[in-house]
Amino acid sequence: MNWQAITLSLKLAVCVAGILLAAGLPIAYWVTFSRWRWKFLVEAVVALPLVLPPTVLGYYILVGLGPRHFAGRVWESLFGHTLPFTFGGLLVASVLYSLPFAVQPISAGFEGVDRRLIEASWTLGASRLATFFRVILPLSAAGAVTGIVLSFAHTIGEFGVVLMVGGNIPGVTRTVSIDIYDQVQAANYDVANRTALVLLVFSFLVLTAIYATNRRALSIWRRP
Amino acid sequence: MSLEVAIEKNVPGFRLAVEFVADGAPLGLLGPSGSGKTMTLRAIAGLERPDRGRIVLHGRVLFDSERRIDVPARARRIGLLFQNYALFPHLTVAENIAFGLRGLPDAAKNRRVAEQIAAAHLDGLAERYPATLSGGEQQRVALARALAIEPAALLLDEPFSALDTHLRSALERQLRETLASYGGSTLFVSHNLEEAYRVCEKLVVLAQGSVAAQGAKEEIFRHPPTLEVARVTGCKNFSRARRLPDGCVEALDWGCTLRVAQQFTMPIEHIAIRANHIRVHPARNSTEEKRENAFPCLLAAMAETPFRVTLDLRIGALPASPADFHLQAEVYKQEWESFRDLPQPWAVELAADRLFLLPD
Repeated sequence: MNWQAITLSLKLAVCVAGILLAAGLPIAYWVTFSRWRWKFLVEAVVALPLVLPPTVLGYYILVGLGPRHFAGRVWESLFGHTLPFTFGGLLVASVLYSLPFAVQPISAGFEGVDRRLIEASWTLGASRLATFFRVILPLSAAGAVTGIVLSFAHTIGEFGVVLMVGGNIPGVTRTVSIDIYDQVQAANYDVANRTALVLLVFSFLVLTAIYATNRRALSIWRRP
Repeated sequence: MSLEVAIEKNVPGFRLAVEFVADGAPLGLLGPSGSGKTMTLRAIAGLERPDRGRIVLHGRVLFDSERRIDVPARARRIGLLFQNYALFPHLTVAENIAFGLRGLPDAAKNRRVAEQIAAAHLDGLAERYPATLSGGEQQRVALARALAIEPAALLLDEPFSALDTHLRSALERQLRETLASYGGSTLFVSHNLEEAYRVCEKLVVLAQGSVAAQGAKEEIFRHPPTLEVARVTGCKNFSRARRLPDGCVEALDWGCTLRVAQQFTMPIEHIAIRANHIRVHPARNSTEEKRENAFPCLLAAMAETPFRVTLDLRIGALPASPADFHLQAEVYKQEWESFRDLPQPWAVELAADRLFLLPD
């Protein structure tokens, strides 16, 4: 069993979930509450990874962040190397690829918050930021948890984008899903089977644990 | 102490244009649903931006379209009691009440919360969540939360509409006491006339987005200035009317001629009387002197409530159907039992000092 690949996948998924928690909340807030007339354009862009084949997204990230394009050159001049085929490149690609899995549940959670509660908070003197942390977020915690769990799980299971952007460098970009693919290619079914099983059990446990606590935590104040 | 409101707002299919002043006494905003009551409250609270106008609270300009002033809701210091209370479901009663007291030191905050809990008779409920409270308790928490920030004005949006009838009168009494000791301006929105009449001294009647009448409540109820106001204030009997040379008025729809007490200089279109002001008697025998404004009538339909009876009456002839009636009278059951078994026609009496004339 390739523990190196498992650790790498976990590290990647934790980083992606963390970044998407930080970035997903403001994006979801904007998507939910903005009255900008062209908002639907942004919503469509955020949702693109849901319908695009991972190879398409991977291809554009590969090319866009490569040394021939502006973004890639800026990155190179700042950090001295290009992003593709590094852990950083993998992270950028994974965050983009999982963005809708974080934003959409969080946004659905925000939308579920009774508008009058938000207005009540304003009339009681709370700023928009205070209202977000004291009213909106606690009442849509389920959506935020779902979003983070989904992006975590989605990153663990990611294959196409990782292969396109990361290549297959052991310890750097060879994640579990790619390792299993390699083992199967090499006809090492035993190893593939054990790694796959570990991944399966782990993912299942994480999801059950989070959904179970989530439900209990929310039931106290749910209206009868 | 005054709240001056003069605002206009257009939304698709509706135009709001209201102007009124609330002083120390509670001001009732009365009107049917869709008349703009809630929108007016929301504009005052800063949750809705008027297109034009001014809102001034105790000399402080909250909104002025010409001077481009629009104080945000959080800085207006206005207590708003939402129709469904809008309690924060994830906070306890004490936390809900303390929500607006963020800036205060803990000791002062706790004292303020304790005062509100005692004043609202919520003792023992401080640690409970809103979902575990009754409707009446929720309403008191919402009111305590609004009052805790010591608002310069208190806006109540149909505070009793979500409650069972048996809870209403007790809570209404409590609200009247609370308002009596509250120093700021109060606006009380309601579509229930009796409730608004009991709670408020002055009324503003809204109809289709504009002020149809305003002033002392007694005056508005006794002499509604327009047909619409008469309707909104609960009047059920109207007839087209024509002034006769002898000073009497002919009620064209009711087919009778009436003497009226009201001095009315404007041209008249309608005459009206409230259902509870109509008297119904058993028929007098013909030798007895005929009473003023009394006519023979027949029963078209009736509806009973526990203590009162509503009678649909037709003057002069037999009703063709239950819907064929001129007047709706509301009488006490006792009275009704005194003549219900006596032969019809009965006599319907429209007292001259209870009739009122309308210019539209």
